[in-house]
Amino acid sequence: MRVVLAIAWVELRRFLADRSNLFFVLILPLAMVAVIGWQFGSDRSGSPVSVHGPGGAATEALVAGWEDAELAVTVRTTPELVQEDVSRGSAEVGVLLDAEAETAWRDGIPMELEIITGSSSQAPAVTQVVRAQAEAVATEATQVGLLETFGDATEARAALEDASALVPPAQLLVQQPEDPVAVAFEGAEQFDNGAVAQLLLFVFLSTLNAAPALIKARRDGVVRRTMAAPVTTAQAMAGLTTGRVVIALVQGAYIMLASSLLFGVRWGSLGVAVAVLLVFGLIAAGAAMVIGVLVDSEGAASGLAVGGGLVLGAVGGSMVPLEFYSDTLRQVAQLTPHAWANDAMAQIQRQGAGIADVLPQLGVLAAMAVGVLVLGSLLLRRSLARAM
Amino acid sequence: MTTPVLQVEGLRRSFGPATVVDGVSLRIDPGETVGLLGPNGAGKTTTISMIAGLLRPDDGSVVIQGVDMGAEPLAAKRHLGLVPQDLAIYPELSARSNLSFFGRLQGMRGADLRRRVAEVLEVVGLTDRATGASKTFSGGMKRRLNIAIGLLHEPRLLILDEPTVGVDPQSRNAILESVEALSGEGMAVLYTTHYMEEAERLCDRIGIIDGGQIIAEGTRDELVELTGGADTVTLVGEGPLDEVEAAVAGIPAVREVRRVAGEGRLVMVVQGAPQAISAIVATATGAGMTLRDVETSRPDLESVFLHLTGKALRD
Repeated sequence: MRVVLAIAWVELRRFLADRSNLFFVLILPLAMVAVIGWQFGSDRSGSPVSVHGPGGAATEALVAGWEDAELAVTVRTTPELVQEDVSRGSAEVGVLLDAEAETAWRDGIPMELEIITGSSSQAPAVTQVVRAQAEAVATEATQVGLLETFGDATEARAALEDASALVPPAQLLVQQPEDPVAVAFEGAEQFDNGAVAQLLLFVFLSTLNAAPALIKARRDGVVRRTMAAPVTTAQAMAGLTTGRVVIALVQGAYIMLASSLLFGVRWGSLGVAVAVLLVFGLIAAGAAMVIGVLVDSEGAASGLAVGGGLVLGAVGGSMVPLEFYSDTLRQVAQLTPHAWANDAMAQIQRQGAGIADVLPQLGVLAAMAVGVLVLGSLLLRRSLARAM
Repeated sequence: MTTPVLQVEGLRRSFGPATVVDGVSLRIDPGETVGLLGPNGAGKTTTISMIAGLLRPDDGSVVIQGVDMGAEPLAAKRHLGLVPQDLAIYPELSARSNLSFFGRLQGMRGADLRRRVAEVLEVVGLTDRATGASKTFSGGMKRRLNIAIGLLHEPRLLILDEPTVGVDPQSRNAILESVEALSGEGMAVLYTTHYMEEAERLCDRIGIIDGGQIIAEGTRDELVELTGGADTVTLVGEGPLDEVEAAVAGIPAVREVRRVAGEGRLVMVVQGAPQAISAIVATATGAGMTLRDVETSRPDLESVFLHLTGKALRD
């Protein structure tokens, strides 16, 4: 164990000795979390409700009513624009009225609205305000209609009281369609999704950076010298892997803590999140080992590590959320560790999932980790013979 | 009879169809320095890799201090210090950190480790530079650190694989003095080089290796004896060297003649050079060679190698 820790410690020191690593580990990930968070969910208070309607009396009355309730309303020209506003997070709630709703409003009979609720935790509350205010506006409209019928205020008031007993006010039927994207993001805050995606993307990239370091150690003869000491290949592998996984965990913990403090990102159960990160880091460390043994040039290994890390991250949902993927692309994404880790982290973060809930994802990630680490170990052993 | 520190029997190793080491046997006793002398590609590093447990031999055995490397590699490696040809150090780390790391790999720790680190830093003259990153060191300082790591755990057998490659004369001399001192303290040393001067200076016995085989082994004098006491004459100049080579080969005293690749140089093994030199010079100039220099030397390992293989060591 001492040998493993000694190798791990020296790997850590080598990593920290390269100052440029600190930029990629500490600064860039948080900058990306901020940028993505602002892109997907900025300025909610400015326009929380997006509305499309035919532009008749009902639309005008409801928009006025919501504005009276201090909701910021944007009227859109098409239903698709309303859906886009909600999907991108620029509106908490979308409301769609059609011509039938206008007619029902005019005739004083129950009208139907379609309400689309966004993914943030504020969206349900905004939806309630939208509904309550719409019902109030509809009721008032009924009352105003009655008042106009009777002309005299006293008679009208008396008639209104009678009518209240006899005729129910116009009702509002709310249709809330099941939007899979909205359901998937239910409970996620502005920066939450970006933080998970960037955490996984950068942890993988940083860990893959072990590949050129391993090539340098091989080229300098340090690996040969290590193996000439009373050290087994398994111990050498464990040491190299441990060093990189520790770096991954430290970087992960830093991103989690800093994003929590700076952007209010919630991470759910920390223990479960760290477990996912640990297994994910093992895969990255194993992949770095494989690249570091198969490739002989440090420059080529750096390119492969960065390029490969970005491609895997992109396919695995660390650039565009998996929820936006087609079914086919989703299946392709599941070949990457990022997709499984993103899925597990999303459940932990948004639904408060525990270790049992993410066991399937952890199982797949663990199998991937064992695969790349065994492959890396065999290749390292072979590379020693090749170096003679 | 003394128990050998290193006993190698019949080592063989092939890479694909090429047999790189072909039946190497070797024995080193305590306090003895044995050299493996041969040109690049002769099989020295592959032999050392098998002795150090880095490469599994196809056949043969390596026993260090009575422990079989094949059966108990970790136990055998505890008696072994390897100084590879490459500068096998972490340039980002200081000399002290490098030594501490490799010491831990050898199972050392605590006060014992700190004491040995201080001692070997003193031995290689790096005490004043113990804390600076080793990437700031000169080539000679890096080489000395490379050797210090091999000495740290006081191994019974120290393997030095071409330790002076690329080193300035002053550092080279310091390294050679260190090796002489270690041998004097009872450490067994296996020293590979293609510099015959180093082999002659350091080694009690020398194995000449070529084509993966030890073609001769013995003390310097025993090896020189193989040439029949012949001298070496070297002609340096320009001209039709093929014709000159053929012409001087016809002189009865000239037993071997070879051109050094890429240089205007003819190296000859000559019986009785003082008597034959005038005939050699006359024949060479008569064949059209413009001489710039003529060197004669008493028999040395270069002439032994030439005699045994028909090649110069630096070919």
